[in-house]
Amino acid sequence: MIRFTNASVVYPGGLKALSGVDLTIEDGEFVVIVGLSGAGKSTLLRSVNGLVPVTGSVTVNGAEVVGASKSEIRAIRTDIGMIFQTFNLVGRATVMANVLMGRLSMVPRWRSMLGLWPAEDRELALQALERVGIVEKAYVRASDLSGGQQQRVGIARALAQDPKIILADEPVASLDPVTSHMVMRDLQRINRELGITTIINLHFLDLARAYGKRLIGLRDGQVVYDGDIADVNDDDFREIYGRAITPDDLLEGAAT
Amino acid sequence: MNRPIAPTAPRVIRWVVTTAIVVPFVWAALGLDVSLDRLVEAPGAIWSRVASMFPPDWGDISEILGKVLESVNVAWVGTIIGATLSLPLGYLAATNISPRWVTGPVRGLLSAIRAFPELVLAIMFIPAFGLGPFAATLAIGLHSIGTLGKLTSEVLEGTDAGPVEAIASAGGTKLQQLRFGVSPQAMPNIIAYWLYRFEINIRASAVLGVIGAGGVGDLLIGRLRFREWEKAGAVLIITVAVVLIIDFASSAIRRRIITGHSGTGRVSKALSLLVRPRAT
Amino acid sequence: MTSLAQRPLAPTQSRQFTRPILAAIGVAAVASVAFSIPLLWGALIGLALFAGLALADISRATIDAIVLASVGAAAAWWFDSVLDGRSAAIELLISLRAGLGWLVVGATVGAILVLRRPTVNPVAVPVTAVSAYLATALMSASGASVGVLADLEARQLREGILQVLGAPFHLVIGLSVVAVALAIVFGYLAQSAAVPGVVGSALFTLVAYNLVGFSVAEIVAETSRVGDLAREFWPPQWTWPKTIGSEPTNVIIEPMIETLQIAVIGATVGCLLAIPLAFFASRPTTPTEPTYVAARWILSVLRTIPDLFWAALFASAVGFGALAGALAMIMFSLVIMAKLFSETIDSIDAGPLEAARTSGARYTQVIQYGAFPQVLPTYVAYALYIFELNIRASVVIGVVGAGGIGRLLDEQRTFFQWDRVMAIVIVIFAAVIVIELFSIWVRRRLL
Ligand SMILES: Nc1ncnc2c1ncn2[C@@H]1O[C@H](COP(=O)(O)OP(=O)(O)OP(=O)(O)O)[C@@H](O)[C@H]1O
Ligand SMILES: [Mg+2]
Repeated sequence: MIRFTNASVVYPGGLKALSGVDLTIEDGEFVVIVGLSGAGKSTLLRSVNGLVPVTGSVTVNGAEVVGASKSEIRAIRTDIGMIFQTFNLVGRATVMANVLMGRLSMVPRWRSMLGLWPAEDRELALQALERVGIVEKAYVRASDLSGGQQQRVGIARALAQDPKIILADEPVASLDPVTSHMVMRDLQRINRELGITTIINLHFLDLARAYGKRLIGLRDGQVVYDGDIADVNDDDFREIYGRAITPDDLLEGAAT
Repeated sequence: MNRPIAPTAPRVIRWVVTTAIVVPFVWAALGLDVSLDRLVEAPGAIWSRVASMFPPDWGDISEILGKVLESVNVAWVGTIIGATLSLPLGYLAATNISPRWVTGPVRGLLSAIRAFPELVLAIMFIPAFGLGPFAATLAIGLHSIGTLGKLTSEVLEGTDAGPVEAIASAGGTKLQQLRFGVSPQAMPNIIAYWLYRFEINIRASAVLGVIGAGGVGDLLIGRLRFREWEKAGAVLIITVAVVLIIDFASSAIRRRIITGHSGTGRVSKALSLLVRPRAT
Repeated sequence: MTSLAQRPLAPTQSRQFTRPILAAIGVAAVASVAFSIPLLWGALIGLALFAGLALADISRATIDAIVLASVGAAAAWWFDSVLDGRSAAIELLISLRAGLGWLVVGATVGAILVLRRPTVNPVAVPVTAVSAYLATALMSASGASVGVLADLEARQLREGILQVLGAPFHLVIGLSVVAVALAIVFGYLAQSAAVPGVVGSALFTLVAYNLVGFSVAEIVAETSRVGDLAREFWPPQWTWPKTIGSEPTNVIIEPMIETLQIAVIGATVGCLLAIPLAFFASRPTTPTEPTYVAARWILSVLRTIPDLFWAALFASAVGFGALAGALAMIMFSLVIMAKLFSETIDSIDAGPLEAARTSGARYTQVIQYGAFPQVLPTYVAYALYIFELNIRASVVIGVVGAGGIGRLLDEQRTFFQWDRVMAIVIVIFAAVIVIELFSIWVRRRLL
């Protein structure tokens, strides 16, 4: 369970990106966050694993993120897989090496330093790759893959952590529509099969509708909508976006 | 409609730049006290000097090869010293890795080292280590630390922060972020710089011979001093040939390392040709 | 479903060959140190090779062990008998001949590889043979160069190399055969040039390290008496008599200014002359293919000649003094600038060039209007950089009589006047730093 209690984020420089957020996300939920650019979506996501300076209280399965020591933060992060818009892969390393990075916090330090990965960890990495269907690319350089394949490596890296939570920050924003749907389906399937709590930032409303269950709308760092995605109406969207929906807000609309 | 007037700024800049080039040049040319007739005679003199080196006298090729090899050895060991010591310093000097209070002094140290030419360093090492290849190796090694340290830190600063963030968000330590996020991105370029430095260091170590610190420079100066032009020609040609071969090999390897694709280089293509396809 | 997809085989990793190579080297090392009898150490080297092949699962056949041991023994016998009793003068060629036995050893290793691993192409045999030979040739040549320099006879070289390489010649030769032959074999199997590359570099480092007489102990020893050394250099002596008997004056500044002037001339003229050469040596702007090839070759060859060699050459042609220095600095700048600049031109947008060409412009016009504007900012930045390099380089060319402060430096160090050397070095240091700061400042303004 993830619980935000009066959580705020003020960036160095004084910009208040998140103000007084109260939220509870239960285990196994599939949550989509939408909002205008700059609304604080990434900030909200990053406050879960302590990548931004957050005040108030954020707890992950009972562990407090705010004010946690370095090793406490690392322990929390171990259970949280993160997926990035720009994949964040080491292009020169193989797919396998990239996925194994998800195991870093679990293997003895000397082993990881020498690159002597235990067989179980290799097995976990291969299984993660199998789950996203690109195990045949395991020994290919990451930069030689297509964008969609790279994002699946990113997902496999998160899965290799054997996480309880997955955070995905606009995972399909760098991908074309068809690939976007494939990646979203992967994430949905993983959420259903493994019961991993999944929180996804999305830009496109139709994607959110097609795959999400619970929708959280952010505006100027505040939660302005929180409920079942099936119940969202145009007024709610106007509340989130400050205007009516345009084709630009839809993946299909933007693609045509 | 009114036509716009051509702006004057570009013309002014052109004049300023021209002056900035011409004035120092004239100052330097007048100050050098080189008489016109010597200048006029120079091309002829150079031509006749080069002509007098041919045909070269190959009499002591064994000695020349030995000295060239000594220069290569000095350059190689100097490069190894420079590479191993500049690596940690490069990490310390990279602003995206080390805190400011570390990068500042380390950068200062590196540029102070770079300010001394190898020859000056070698001369200063003579009282301690005597004349010979050892002093030359130290001088080249030290200077290489300065140059390679700077280049290493620049490569490190040019790395993508994404993978580092990915590792941090998976609970990786600072050391793991460096080992798995930064190094795989930077190492190929850093190694390519090592090889490039080796090419430069061969020239530097050849030069150090002129002060007697081992290597082929010694031989060249001796031959020129005793007006043994044909023998000097042999020294020059062998040096050029050996350095040329090393240059070509090194730049081919560098290209391979940077692109990193196995199977694209000529060597690996040849290797894969040598292995017959597995019978299924 | 997706999970049914076939997992790929992990590629053969270079790393899995480290153990066999290390094991084989170890056996060879022990063998060579323990026995200096030719037939025996040769046989042991053969066995070391076999150990490597066996550990890498290439061959476990007894017959292979016997063959390798015999070939090794023969090669060692040949090696020793050729080297015995030779004089130093023909050392290099002799050592090349002495190593011929290793050609056979390498060929045997290659043959075993081809026989036991049917997927390997027979070309492996000559490749392994030649590589093993070249490795020993390099080692012997290094040894030979010591022999030449120290005026040793070949016999002494074989026995007395101990002091120079820190190990018996046998050991060095044996090590290189084993390491290189196995590295080539494993390089084949892993299809990676990295294995032979790393092994070769390691061997070369070992040899070079010993040949230059490098010693960490000596560095430590010298550091401990750094106080004594500092007294030689400190305090710096700023003034001394120009001629014997005259008043001490500051004689550093004047040659330092001359050095600056040489650098200015060299950078200006060199950078200008580099422009045509750079355009010729770049694909998009070269007028004809032969021009391109010729320009590239000229650049590659000129680039091999160090600055001080130019200075020495010109000094011997036009006489000692600033003229030789300026000419040397011109060549120095020309070569670097042409190389850097041609690389920049290589990456320009060919569109404007084509536009200029299709409008019927002449070659020089195409360059001037299509290419030059694209690369001008980079050219300026490089020119400043070249000027900085020139300061550093021109400081030293005086050592061979090409004018400037280098002459003074050389004079004073020849007479062991370290306190004066110190003063000169400080002036050089200050000049270099000031110029560098100035250049950084200008670059920031310009770009
Ligand atoms: N590291 C930072 N330092 C300072 N301000 C930041 C930082 N990161 C984000 N901000 C600011 O915080 C606000 C919220 O940013 P955030 O990245 O959370 O928005 P977002 O909803 O993810 O937008 P987008 O859809 O463009 O990704 C923005 O105004 C942004 O400029
Ligand atoms: Mg964002």
